[in-house]
Amino acid sequence: MRNCGSEPDASPQPAHPLVIADAGSPRLITATDPAAHRLGLRSGMPLARARTLVPTLMVADAEPDADADGLQRLAQWAVRYSPMVSIDPPDGLWIDITGASHLVGGERALLDDLVRRLTGMGVTARAAVAATPGAASAIARFGHRPIVIVDDGLDLLHSLPVAALRLPGETVVALRQLGFETVGDLEQTARAPLAHRFGAALVRRLDELYGRIDEPLVPISVTDVIEVTRGLVEPISTADALQVVISALVEDLCHHLEQRGLGARTLDLLLHRVDGSRQEVHIGTAQPVRSAAHLARLLTERIDSVDPGWGIERADLAATLTEALGAKPIGHLSLAGTGLDPAVDTADLAALVDILGNRIGHDRLYRLAPVESDVPERAVTRVPLLSPPAGRSWPPDWPRPGRLLTPPEPIETMALLPDHPPMAFTWRGVRRLIKRADGPERIHGEWWRRDREVSAARDYYAVEDHDGGRYWLYRSWEDSPETGQMRWFIHGLFG
Amino acid sequence: MTGDMAAGSAGPGYAELQVTTHFSFLRGASSCEELFAQAAALGISALGITDRHSLAGIVRAYEASRQTGVRLVVGCRVDLTDGTALLLYPLNRAGYGRLCRLLTVGKARAGKWACELSWGDVADWAEGLLSILVPDQADERCEQQLVLLRRTFPGRSYLALALRRRPGDALRLQLLSDMGATHRVPTVVTNDVLYHVPERRIMQDIVTCIREGCTIDSAGFRKERYADRFLKPPPEMARLFARHPEAVTRTIEVVARCQFSLDELQYQYPAEVVIPGLTAQQSLERLTWEAASRRYSDGVPEKVLGTLQHELRLIDQLGYAPYFLTVHSIVRFARSRGILCQGRGSAANSAVCYVLGITSIDPEKHNLLFERFVSAERREPPDIDVDFEHDRREIVIQWIYETYGRHRAALTAVVTRYRARGAVRDVGKVLGLTEDVTAALAGQIWAWSDEGVEEEHAKQLNLNLQDRRLRLTLELAQQLMGTPRHLSQHPGGFVLTQDRLDELVPIEPAAMEDRQVIEWDKDDIDVLRIMKVDILALGMLGCMRRAFELLEEHKGIRLGLAAIPVEDPATYAMIRRADTLGVFQIESRAQMAMLPRIKPRTFYDLVIQVAIVRPGPIQGDMVHPYLRRREGVEPVDYPTPELKAVLGSTLGVPLFQEQAMRVAIECAGFTPGEADQLRKSMATFKLTGGVSRFATKLVDGMVARGYSRDFAEHTFKQLEGFGSYGFPESHAASFALIAYASSWMKCHHPEVFCAALLNAQPMGFYAPAQIVRDARDHGVEVWPVDVNQSRWDCTLEPAGQGRLAVRLGFRMVRGLANAAGAGIVSAREDVPYGSVEDLWRRAGVPVAALRQLAAADAFAGIGLKRREAAWAIRALRDEALPLFTAAGSEREMEEPEVLLRPMAAGGEVVQDYTMTGLSLRSHPVAFLRQDLRRQGIIPCGDLARMRDGRRVTVSGLVLVRQRPGSANGVLFVTLEDETGTANVIVWKKLFEARRLVVLGASLLCVRGRVQVEGEVIHVIADDLIDHSDLLRSVGNRQGESLR
Repeated sequence: MRNCGSEPDASPQPAHPLVIADAGSPRLITATDPAAHRLGLRSGMPLARARTLVPTLMVADAEPDADADGLQRLAQWAVRYSPMVSIDPPDGLWIDITGASHLVGGERALLDDLVRRLTGMGVTARAAVAATPGAASAIARFGHRPIVIVDDGLDLLHSLPVAALRLPGETVVALRQLGFETVGDLEQTARAPLAHRFGAALVRRLDELYGRIDEPLVPISVTDVIEVTRGLVEPISTADALQVVISALVEDLCHHLEQRGLGARTLDLLLHRVDGSRQEVHIGTAQPVRSAAHLARLLTERIDSVDPGWGIERADLAATLTEALGAKPIGHLSLAGTGLDPAVDTADLAALVDILGNRIGHDRLYRLAPVESDVPERAVTRVPLLSPPAGRSWPPDWPRPGRLLTPPEPIETMALLPDHPPMAFTWRGVRRLIKRADGPERIHGEWWRRDREVSAARDYYAVEDHDGGRYWLYRSWEDSPETGQMRWFIHGLFG
Repeated sequence: MTGDMAAGSAGPGYAELQVTTHFSFLRGASSCEELFAQAAALGISALGITDRHSLAGIVRAYEASRQTGVRLVVGCRVDLTDGTALLLYPLNRAGYGRLCRLLTVGKARAGKWACELSWGDVADWAEGLLSILVPDQADERCEQQLVLLRRTFPGRSYLALALRRRPGDALRLQLLSDMGATHRVPTVVTNDVLYHVPERRIMQDIVTCIREGCTIDSAGFRKERYADRFLKPPPEMARLFARHPEAVTRTIEVVARCQFSLDELQYQYPAEVVIPGLTAQQSLERLTWEAASRRYSDGVPEKVLGTLQHELRLIDQLGYAPYFLTVHSIVRFARSRGILCQGRGSAANSAVCYVLGITSIDPEKHNLLFERFVSAERREPPDIDVDFEHDRREIVIQWIYETYGRHRAALTAVVTRYRARGAVRDVGKVLGLTEDVTAALAGQIWAWSDEGVEEEHAKQLNLNLQDRRLRLTLELAQQLMGTPRHLSQHPGGFVLTQDRLDELVPIEPAAMEDRQVIEWDKDDIDVLRIMKVDILALGMLGCMRRAFELLEEHKGIRLGLAAIPVEDPATYAMIRRADTLGVFQIESRAQMAMLPRIKPRTFYDLVIQVAIVRPGPIQGDMVHPYLRRREGVEPVDYPTPELKAVLGSTLGVPLFQEQAMRVAIECAGFTPGEADQLRKSMATFKLTGGVSRFATKLVDGMVARGYSRDFAEHTFKQLEGFGSYGFPESHAASFALIAYASSWMKCHHPEVFCAALLNAQPMGFYAPAQIVRDARDHGVEVWPVDVNQSRWDCTLEPAGQGRLAVRLGFRMVRGLANAAGAGIVSAREDVPYGSVEDLWRRAGVPVAALRQLAAADAFAGIGLKRREAAWAIRALRDEALPLFTAAGSEREMEEPEVLLRPMAAGGEVVQDYTMTGLSLRSHPVAFLRQDLRRQGIIPCGDLARMRDGRRVTVSGLVLVRQRPGSANGVLFVTLEDETGTANVIVWKKLFEARRLVVLGASLLCVRGRVQVEGEVIHVIADDLIDHSDLLRSVGNRQGESLR
């Protein structure tokens, strides 16, 4: 069984063969798509060589951890065929279908169903049924057809290449150099000299393949979604009654979460109405949570969005996304209540953020943070409220106005070229005479963003008028301060 | 407001004292030439060049200053460990020496590419230096710095005032000015220039990001934050600093005080080689005459006598005696250690060098044009490069360091500049293109392309040029090309002085341990007339030394480079057959193709042969005219007698660099200096962009002297091809000598040559398989690697009837450690190993080494085939437990017999190739012959019988893929099968279409047309097919299908 990545539809251009390469030095190819395979690129080939051969090659980084996760997920899925599923890393699964195949109409039907479903999921797969795990693994990988069922497969096993024995690569190479091409070649050779030269593992693999000894498999433990359910004797339709049910559900759920050391990030509340339809409430949290009061409050907040219709007869609550949440002390004696403990602060703030976020939308809650840009309107960005501080700040010795006008407003001025401050300016119909000025501060466009900014620049002046009002003005110009248009703007107000 | 007319003369004086060039690597964005030209245009009277911790650009600045008339103030910016930034300018020669010492100290302390200096260091070397403090804010720290500054540089300290174009500029300058006044440190205006024109700002951002290793989007405040870092005209500077007029005029005062100029650098030749009591000239004369009488035991021939006298007079006149003495002493040392060496270069082909043993070209026997060996009128420094054996050059280098001391000897630098590939990669990275895209873009460029990435390339890669970032990348990469990236060390260019070298130029430690490098490169040194000796490595010299040793050991013949019989007809006959595989220089495809046409019969023909197959003559279209004239198809005529004098030896076609320059001088009225500039500008035209001005000058000059315009323009085109690609005649002669010597060896002692060449690998164009095959074709017996016969190197063994066979050495076994090989030889002594186990116990080598030997079939001599030996070795363990060693051997006895499947004959051959790179059995393609014949594929050996234009299909192992820079995208492929080789030419279009096949196939099938050119046969490819799968099947084939 072969896992070809989790995004099978993301490569619509067949003109650009795709390979996956590891992060080693030199980088080696770990997988190829059919187009790359057709061009003769293979796993284990250095990436640099592949690029010389195929300059248009697309390369994706190998993610062995993600692949392992994917295999794990596939294993969870495969439990539908049998509870005994084991992982054969890096790209295989064993399903023990002893006594299980008749449920889906026999071995052949099972394999067909399995491969068809996997293909539908975008996973290319080869599958084999055999008497031993070793044989199944070997035939699935080295058999001539993608789906094989072995009844009495002695000949087939004999003809398998030695690589099918799941031995270290070096051993396989050495065996082939000595003239051992197939498993049958090894089977016919005296065992003691073989074991002496290649270790007991070789002989053990042979025995496992032929079923002379058992190969112990470690089945995966099946995990599931944490879900609690309440069936109601009487259909309910009032907010109060619903609140009681929610509290009870949340209580149960938090109990389960605590047992597994988890906290909820998203919750789905499904309310089944007597008419057979259902209402759904989804909430999310900023951090993993298993405080019953907190979760209950978040759900209760949304009760008014529920239409109970003729009444609700059953409620399911599922934690659809969870994260690890260890045991936590409930408070510090010394700091509790003083508001000085940062951990407590964050926790309190997080609860508030959840409430506000679920009410007005998480995207509408933000904090301002500095960005390293000289262009004033780009020197600020919005970040999630609880994101850790970036450790940057605006330069202290280059004062910026407390209020920026967005967008800057055009003004009428009088000023000398090339870079003198204006003597007066008119903004929103009011003319102001300038008493003092500092500048220019010359800020060039960020040329890498767009063509227009390549030659654009602004000369900023901090000015003070006769009334003591202080303003931030600029003149924009292109190419040279002496030529081009005289366009003046006010961009901000100081103090 | 005053107009621009006032700039310079009537306006206020201003000199720019703080200029950073692109020799502050990845910081400055303009070249010295650009900066000085711009300064001249703006009316700035002087530029102070202050690169960071470096004087690397100062010689270029000096040249630019001489060209533009803008004065150069030599200087340097030093950032101290406490963050203080100082500009230092030498007032005089002594001060300059101290500045060099200071930088050397800082660099030695900090290691490569860094400089670590404190106030204490500056104080140690402050005398004779003027200093300008570059302040930040007018704060307490600045006050402390001013106090230190005034104490360190009493009466020679200034405070820099520079605009930042940031809030509070005016206030900051006023406060600084006040603070300067308080501490009695005068202020002086600088502009902190990073580029010559405003438009370079973008490039400056790019190099900053490259330096910081970030993308432009994430660079943030790592970019330069102060604006307007370009050169401004003096009136503008006066206007900007209207509140500080005295600080503006003070720039002129600083310039006036800093009187040091690079003209003052007096280079001194090292003196220790002089015979006590004699001057250098007297020493050289005595040595020369002594050597001459030794060399010519019957008295020095008349002709040589005259030449020697003439040369010695010229050397005396130019004062070059110390230089010749130095080279002589280095060569004498090498000879004393038996290290083979040979000099070349303009001064090397002189009778003096011959009698002193620096070169081996006998002026009496070889009629070379020596009279121009050092030109009196040009006064260019003499140039002698000495090639040493590749693997023993280090001994010579260490001797030089020991003899001259580290303060007097160092390597010259090489300025590594951005070329297309690196520029695209770095700019692309900065602009955030993914590694795939930049790698693909860069991968499209062959290494030496000057054109950058063309739109056509991008289209081929399906890249969208409408994409702004991609477009910017291509544009900016083009701009970045030619910019210095960093200094690296010259492979062997030594600078030696009498005085301390570190008072002439800063020295920095090199990446390689025990090496140190000065900050200047070859061109800089030429400008300052500093002596340089190139200590270079040449693989063929090592090969020849081995050959001489083998010749003496096995045949009792004592020979050296100078003693090889000259003008040997058999050797020339072999060369004319292009039977030159493995010999020096004339073994490449292009050279071999030319040999039957040049038909060398004399040494000078070889010199021409070496020189003509070079990118220069090929691009200048000189090859065909020369050949036509040589074959008598085209008449040789000279429009003028001058031209005949210059080009007579090469039938009127300029083939050597010197001839190109002489043409410019004699026929177009160039001064020698201008001719030299012409040569340089051609070598580096990308940077200076100045070839065109020479074109007009040359063509007009020639027309004025009565040549036709057509002829003049054609001549210029020819010269243009040279640049750095042409060979000087003297180099060609030295190379021709080694080519001749190696050819002689191959011709008369092929077995010796084969063994020596195998032991000198890797070198040359050919792999061991071709060398061995060629030797066997010449009747040499070659015997396989054998644990009981081989030594580490390949050796010669008696093969009966006085003949010698080559025994392959352990060095041929891929992956085998030298120590393991040596262990087997020394433990063997005279008692041959009887079994695998016997060898393992006696030699004590790791099992892994034994496996390699078995895979290389080295146990065949004791009756064990590959697999049998490997099987036996598998049973051994490196860390045998003492308790079980005895028992283990018994168990071995009891072991059931295991019958291993015999290896197919094809498999043996494949294994031979895998482990030793060659096979003495059959050729792999031989196993495929029936299949190939069925497909209508002919053996390569049949090509010789084909008529010109015949359509053929051949298939063979790909030996060489060559894509010479001069060949305009044409690829040369050499194929080999069991019958011979085929030379295939793949045109650019086919190459692009079949790229994957050409570069990927190990067995390549070519359909094409035969092109017969004399004795050289090419196949012009029409289509290419990958036969690698077929080759992979060889391992399973038996040999019986063979014959």
